[in-house]
Amino acid sequence: MRIAITALIVFINFILQTTLFPHFAIQGVFPNTALIIVTSYALLRGSKEGALVGIGVGFLMDVFFKTYIGFYTALYLVFGLLFGRSQRNFYRENYILPVIFCTISTVLYQVILYVTGFVFRGEGNILYFLFRLLLPELVYGAVITVPLYRILFGINEWLELKEKYKYRLF
Amino acid sequence: MQEFFLKHKKHIISAGIVLLVLVTVIASGKKLNATLLESAIGVVVTPFQDLTTGISSWVDETVTSARSKTDLKEENEDLKNQIAELMEENRRLAMYEEENAKLSSLLKIAQRYPNYESVGAKIIAKDPGVWYDNFIIDKGTSSHISANMVLIAPQGLVGKVLESGATFSKAQSILDSRSSVPAKSVRTGDLGVVKGDYTLSNNGLCKMEYIDGDAEIMVGDEIVTSHLSDIYPEGLAIGKVLEIETDTNGLTKYAVIEPYVDLKHLDTILIIDKNNAPAGKSAAPAAETAETDEEAAEPEESNAGTGVAE
Repeated sequence: MRIAITALIVFINFILQTTLFPHFAIQGVFPNTALIIVTSYALLRGSKEGALVGIGVGFLMDVFFKTYIGFYTALYLVFGLLFGRSQRNFYRENYILPVIFCTISTVLYQVILYVTGFVFRGEGNILYFLFRLLLPELVYGAVITVPLYRILFGINEWLELKEKYKYRLF
Repeated sequence: MQEFFLKHKKHIISAGIVLLVLVTVIASGKKLNATLLESAIGVVVTPFQDLTTGISSWVDETVTSARSKTDLKEENEDLKNQIAELMEENRRLAMYEEENAKLSSLLKIAQRYPNYESVGAKIIAKDPGVWYDNFIIDKGTSSHISANMVLIAPQGLVGKVLESGATFSKAQSILDSRSSVPAKSVRTGDLGVVKGDYTLSNNGLCKMEYIDGDAEIMVGDEIVTSHLSDIYPEGLAIGKVLEIETDTNGLTKYAVIEPYVDLKHLDTILIIDKNNAPAGKSAAPAAETAETDEEAAEPEESNAGTGVAE
């Protein structure tokens, strides 16, 4: 049940992110909802499941937008692992922390892509990257994170409730 | 078994990550057709992307058509005038074509701009990130699409196919920072390479690099693909020069190019295969094309006058 619903979330997000969301881009920038989902999921459920969701998300990205498999898979896997570690340390009903963590993960993700894809090839325009790409994405991303996290949180609550009744003895 | 996994969890996970990174490093740069697994996933995913793109463009169309009904009459009038003008011009050009065909058959020159057979395709998904300008089209190896085929729109060059699966292909537009297209300016013949640049691609522009410092290229010059490419056929329109700057090394110039195709709002494209041009037109043997030309008075001399009415 959980696996099916999580797979469905990842799948629907991928479809929407590649088709519909570019229409809502502001100045060509739209937050990476896949990354927000991986981070939120890791925060809600811990490292292991965060890493699994990361593999799923990254694998889809690899299949469709890279000519080889592995880059995005490894990247999202690491993000899932990394952010799942803080699962036990905060109240997940809180909205400020997910926003902060998603902001941190977006910064990390974009810096990694920027360094591996551009700086190594000698094409780094750091000011353009910081102010024209990263900053708008962070602001827009923070706004998108709240409803997205709320949806994932609700689904997770519901699933946990179901699982609890399933294993109840009386 | 369970214990072994629990005990060495960290090692297993880190080994997995290292393995993925290694695969990435080893496999990068290879241009193959999509594997069976990728194709299989494509078969599942692409119909949904097709559907969503279809719905959003339908909504777009409905909204605009409701808004602009009054404009349509005006536009219709304009278009009618334009058609009349174009018909006139077309007739004139057809005469030129006939003359050109006659003269070149006299000179025995092969026709320079062959007509490639083209396949239409739809763009169904785009790379969500800001860095790259890749997209997915809805035709694959089952429609005989393979890597390195060239994508065009009626106005000019769009990009090329990177890799194709059974029902879909990954494509790269000329705005992508990994794409480079050998190009030249039509007026002066100056050579260069049109590359994508992520600082420009958000505005739908790209860059032509490695132009000679003495080149007499000017703002407004038309840029087409050059003869130096294995992938792109010669003479495809790319765009026009928007501005010209000298590189920091002072030896070469670069130009900012505005592509003729509106790459940010593109939904249908044509795919052409450079290596599969119809032989009759690219080699231009006079007799072969003349067979299809019913109205040609002198079959030996007019080889491309198919469209000539009067």
